[in-house]
Amino acid sequence: MKKEDTVKLISAEGFEFVIDKNAAMVSQTIRNMLTSPGSFSETQHGVVRFPEISTPILEKICQYFYWSLQFASGKETEFYIEPELTLELMMAANYLHT
Amino acid sequence: MMKEEEEEEEERESGLVRLCIEAASESKESIEIWRRQRRTLEKMPTPLAEALLRRLLRRRLLSPSLLEVFQQCIEEINLQGENFVDSEWMAYLGAFRYLRTLNIADCKGINNSALWAISGMDCLKDLDLSRCTKVTDAGVMHLISIPNLEKLSVSETSLTVEGVKHLSSLRKLLLLDLGGLPVTDMALCTLQVLKKLEHLDLWGSKISNSGATFLKTFVELRFLNLAWTKVTKVPYLPSLSCLNMSNCSIMSIFEDGYCGVKHPHLARLQLHGVSFTDVHEALSFLDPSRLSFLDLSNSSLCDFQFLLNMTALEHLDVSFSRMEDDSVDLIGRVGANLKFLNLSNTRLRSAGMESLAGFIPIIETLILSHTAVDDFALPYIGMMPSLKVLDLSNTNVKGFCHMLGNDQEEILSLIALQNLTHLERLDLKETQVRDGALQPLSCLEDLKFLSLKSDFLTDVSLLFLSSFPKLKYLGIRGAVLTSAGIQSFNPPPMLKILDLRDCWLLTEDALLSFCENHPQIEMRHEQFDTGSTAQIASGNASSAHGTSRTVQLKPKWAKMSSPPSRFQKEIFVDERRKYSREELLELQFSPLSQVSAR
Repeated sequence: MKKEDTVKLISAEGFEFVIDKNAAMVSQTIRNMLTSPGSFSETQHGVVRFPEISTPILEKICQYFYWSLQFASGKETEFYIEPELTLELMMAANYLHT
Repeated sequence: MMKEEEEEEEERESGLVRLCIEAASESKESIEIWRRQRRTLEKMPTPLAEALLRRLLRRRLLSPSLLEVFQQCIEEINLQGENFVDSEWMAYLGAFRYLRTLNIADCKGINNSALWAISGMDCLKDLDLSRCTKVTDAGVMHLISIPNLEKLSVSETSLTVEGVKHLSSLRKLLLLDLGGLPVTDMALCTLQVLKKLEHLDLWGSKISNSGATFLKTFVELRFLNLAWTKVTKVPYLPSLSCLNMSNCSIMSIFEDGYCGVKHPHLARLQLHGVSFTDVHEALSFLDPSRLSFLDLSNSSLCDFQFLLNMTALEHLDVSFSRMEDDSVDLIGRVGANLKFLNLSNTRLRSAGMESLAGFIPIIETLILSHTAVDDFALPYIGMMPSLKVLDLSNTNVKGFCHMLGNDQEEILSLIALQNLTHLERLDLKETQVRDGALQPLSCLEDLKFLSLKSDFLTDVSLLFLSSFPKLKYLGIRGAVLTSAGIQSFNPPPMLKILDLRDCWLLTEDALLSFCENHPQIEMRHEQFDTGSTAQIASGNASSAHGTSRTVQLKPKWAKMSSPPSRFQKEIFVDERRKYSREELLELQFSPLSQVSAR
């Protein structure tokens, strides 16, 4: 995989998730960061930091990105969310517009 | 909350947010896990918390003690019609720190002591207690301690004149709904101190003409409802833009205090069922070119000359009046902005439609039911290309007509409707339309609602009814449909409701097998009577509080073809707690339970 096709998402604790750019684009917020012309440093380096999002939540978010792409292409499986994650995940999803 | 609003809400929430809300409101067990995360709940954005709360309420999973975890993040809560809401609920709601809007209308469990819990809440601005019949004057004492209240609805509660008078201490009120209360002229006099009032509802009160003169002191008043009162003369109220005088006998509007300038702001006038001493005199003090909404239904009017200068009209309802073909011409002359026109139950005939064709260019809704219009009106209707809603039920429309001077040749008259490319609703109930006549309709691609009811229709009609790409509701009531016909029927792809009531030839087996083959379609037939069908079919969801509680048997998210298995299990685990007694009785006759019983 080429470097320019991936993005690096960094959680509050500093964990790095390297995922497909296409998957990350499921989030409207990340899409805006990566595609808006000009000043965002995220656009140039393909690195986005989320100081408000903890590692397990960011991991779940990344899983959702891939699940969402699969779902859109017709593979209709269930996306399971552990009850203990629902609230934080909801807030993160709201922030990421995903 | 109504079904359509729920759907809109789900569309607004983005994918993962909705999945989270669904997961959080999956079962009592899942709630027990997240409810301990207090700090997360406290910092949750209000719109998210409110969406979660609404979902929990809809799933019957909300309890008073669960309310406690939301007390930092909720600004608005709607509990309308939830009879289990009582003092205990109110005790928790009283602790909500930022609660701005509270709707507990139609909550039969609310009494005076329940209101004590919200006394003194200084964040509360909007409170709806309509039809809480146990609330009396003693409850008003709690209400007047809410210092910043701006909107208060106490219509059809058990308040007396004394209670109403006490409301005068709520000086910040902008909206006051006193509908159905015995408000007297003296009580209205006491309320004159409410200088900020913009909206005042006094329908069904004991106000008379002498009380109506006090209205002049409400200088900000924009909306006034005096329906079902003895008021015959409304004084000149300069800021008024909305007036409802339905079911009154009207002598004059704005004559008292008239200073030579016609009333410049009145835009909406609701005069359902009124009787006039002299309609032209009564309406002569307002500027006719400002009026955009006029409801004259059920009035015994036959002379409509006053319409002449009402050039801004967008909504006109003259149903059940004595409107005749000659006066329809007057509507045509002011029809440039007309979007809604109701002519049902008038003496209109096809000739009258001729004078409308071309004169109501942006009309969207046209209701002609229970008139004598026939197929000769259809070409004129075809000249109204912006039509979205067309009601031709109970008319003489047959679907075909003879060429002039040639009795042999029949023309399919519904062809004229093919020009109506924006048409979404078409009602042809109780007409003489036969099978073949429906054929031209199949090219109406935007059609979402089609209602037919006639014993002239047979299986042949079903052939023409498969192809509508957006159709959601299809009613073929009282038709001679056979079991074989319905089994071979290929329903339109988006269909949600198929109404086959009064199709007496259909057997239960045929209907059940159709339901099994098309689980996304809700079937309406006497074989499975769900009780709520009549309300939904009439399209009048606003008056039907019951619709929000009809049992959801379909998966909420249509795209998710296989609902989560845990969800199904949960339905069987907790049946009694989730559904009320009525709903359980409904379930008994639903297709799902019949399938599983077999």
